[in-house]
Amino acid sequence: MSGVVDRLSVDEKDRALYDRLESADIFEGRTRKEQFLFALAYAFQRGVRRPMETREGFFLAKDLHTEDRALLSAVAAYSDDSLDVLADKARVFRIAEEYAHAGIRMIVDEIESTQYGSFEKRLEMDFHDRWKQLALADN
Amino acid sequence: MRIEKLVLQNYRQFRHAELDFSRTAGNDLHIIRGMNGTGKTNILNAFNWCLYGDEPHLAKDSQQLPRLNLGCIRDSDGSQNEEVRAELWLKTRDGNYLVFERRESYRVQGHDEHPLVQERSFEARVTDAKGNIKILRDEEAAYCAERFVPRLMREFFLFDGERLDRYFKEATAQNIRHAVFELSQIHLLENLEQKLDATLKDVRREAGKASPAIEQSRERLDTLENRLGDLDTQRQACIDQVNLSKDKIAEYLEMLRGVPDVATLEAERQGLGERRKQKEQLRADKAAQKREALFQSGMSIGVWPAMDQILQIIDQKREDNEIPPTVDKGLLDSILRDHLCRICGRALDEESTRHVKQLAEEVRLSSAVLRELVNMENALRLRADTLSHFDAQLREMTSEIREYETELDAIERRKNEIDRELEGYNIHRITEWHKERQNFENARDTNQRKLGMLDAQRDGLLVQIRALKASLDKELKKETKLAQLRKEIGFCASALEVVRQTKHSIMTQTRREIESETKALFMDFAWKKETFRDVHIDDDYGIHLMHSMGYDCLGAASAAERELLALSFTLALHKVSGFDSPIVIDTPVARVSDEHRVNFGRVLLEVSADKQTVLLFTPAEYSQDLAGVIDRHSSNRLELKLSSDENEARVEVL
Repeated sequence: MSGVVDRLSVDEKDRALYDRLESADIFEGRTRKEQFLFALAYAFQRGVRRPMETREGFFLAKDLHTEDRALLSAVAAYSDDSLDVLADKARVFRIAEEYAHAGIRMIVDEIESTQYGSFEKRLEMDFHDRWKQLALADN
Repeated sequence: MRIEKLVLQNYRQFRHAELDFSRTAGNDLHIIRGMNGTGKTNILNAFNWCLYGDEPHLAKDSQQLPRLNLGCIRDSDGSQNEEVRAELWLKTRDGNYLVFERRESYRVQGHDEHPLVQERSFEARVTDAKGNIKILRDEEAAYCAERFVPRLMREFFLFDGERLDRYFKEATAQNIRHAVFELSQIHLLENLEQKLDATLKDVRREAGKASPAIEQSRERLDTLENRLGDLDTQRQACIDQVNLSKDKIAEYLEMLRGVPDVATLEAERQGLGERRKQKEQLRADKAAQKREALFQSGMSIGVWPAMDQILQIIDQKREDNEIPPTVDKGLLDSILRDHLCRICGRALDEESTRHVKQLAEEVRLSSAVLRELVNMENALRLRADTLSHFDAQLREMTSEIREYETELDAIERRKNEIDRELEGYNIHRITEWHKERQNFENARDTNQRKLGMLDAQRDGLLVQIRALKASLDKELKKETKLAQLRKEIGFCASALEVVRQTKHSIMTQTRREIESETKALFMDFAWKKETFRDVHIDDDYGIHLMHSMGYDCLGAASAAERELLALSFTLALHKVSGFDSPIVIDTPVARVSDEHRVNFGRVLLEVSADKQTVLLFTPAEYSQDLAGVIDRHSSNRLELKLSSDENEARVEVL
């Protein structure tokens, strides 16, 4: 897959889900790009990726900083188990979009679930457990 | 002398009334009970009107009404004058009667108009041991009344009970000085002093005519003495202000006793409010910081396996020297462009060209990947580095947020404590009290400073006056022809000094006697014997009630204790003055709390053992407990009742 891609897209239905993120403090005042990247990481951690049914532009690729691009590329290379994908930006973006598509639904479900404690608290505990599990302190 | 009866005719509410005050029981105590408006205070006025012709306790609504009874005006057909009459029967120690009678006749013009006074008369009928009656009229009768209770001192014999409460609250020193002044009849000496002073000045003026030096000294002396007079007036005003401020401070301290310091607490509460805002902002900032860290690190944690894998690949490629790329793509491009091998110098054949093209394509691809890897490396390492501090960073921020919350809890707790402390208090009024107390403290300090300054000026002035008098004396001695005038001046000056010293010593002696009597009576009457040690009237006539612990506790005394002190002081004045006349008190325990009314009743009972005591109560004031204590000892119990048209009061014996 090749060609110049100037924007990252979401599924048409996902836009409304992104709007609902505002109910959690952690997403308050976040840009579309930041929401998208978080949804991507959330789904990647849980190994869930969903192909999109429709596509509509969500934010422009030029808004991605080097560190954002590095994150997308790392995810794409890991998912394809090949470094060649790094030379194919369109595919890198497509992979990211599919993770974000899965992630946003999971996050909204989690926020709106009736489980005890706030989403932010649960995230904190989850990140902390995961951090320990990965033994990231020695990095 | 004691009051036997008071007869009223057409006097205000009383159409025909006879109040009997004969002693029939152990105590010379007479109770008059009546609802508001039945004429209790007008009984007090009737005593005053009969003896002195005025009614100092007249209520505002009564001031609009004629003295002549309204029922009498209503029934009058105007054909003849109607008369108001008050008759006060007194019995002397030797059993003789002295009867004061005041009459006023009126012409009634119409039922809605004020009747006009036609005639007035005042007489005293004195009966001697043989039964002879001597009738004294007007001035002679007034003189006779003065012997019963002097007009200037009647406020200590016939008074409203509220006065007892106010007595040591309002300008104490002024009241006491006034009492001592009246009692000592100092005005006689004052008149003498003024006369001597004027004479002295006249004689000096006369002497001044003989010599310009004497005239100059005299004028200067006059000026200085006038200044001294002004200074003394100012000093007295300052002393009065200091004493008034002290009394007010004590009064406010009493009102504020046990009441929280609202101003300080309010300031603290406001401070807490501001601190809470600051802490809440700091907590919100820290929470936002923590959320940001959680958001960014959360993303890194989520994609960590991918990041980790790429970083490992980069490390491996660096180790294998694949980074940076080993093949120079520019060299391959120039070989293809020139169809010439730059290494061996041979021209490229078809196969070599295809081989170099394939090699260039492979290099292009791998270079893009490697470049991408290189681009990613720093960003990923930075994220990995941040991630290594995630736990510590999160813990630190969480702990800081907890600290802010602990501080906020403490602030909230203190705020609640203050709210509880202030609950039920009228904050505005208490703040006003604090302000007023502060104002009086400032006034006291200012006047004390001013007093110090005036004292210094006075001392300086006295030195100057003494020097000037000596110089005037010297000048007078030079003029032999002025020997007579000199003698007169010397005499006037000495006489003036004697009068002044006499005045001072009488005032001091009277003050001491009153002090001693007041103390004896108060200590005898006080129901809390152990609490008080002394009663002291200082040189400035300030009264001090000394606690057994040694401090002045007048300001902190209860209303009942304060009234007791005022009553003791009043009775001490009776004793020292030598006027052993009855005491009439309207609403004596109105300001005394229920718990102390019985105590106060016992004191009044004790007073009435030796002194005729007439007490006027409202039914509310005359509680069952109080009645239980004094009823059985009283000689008379009268009740005032109002007719249905409220124009006439009847006196019923209980």
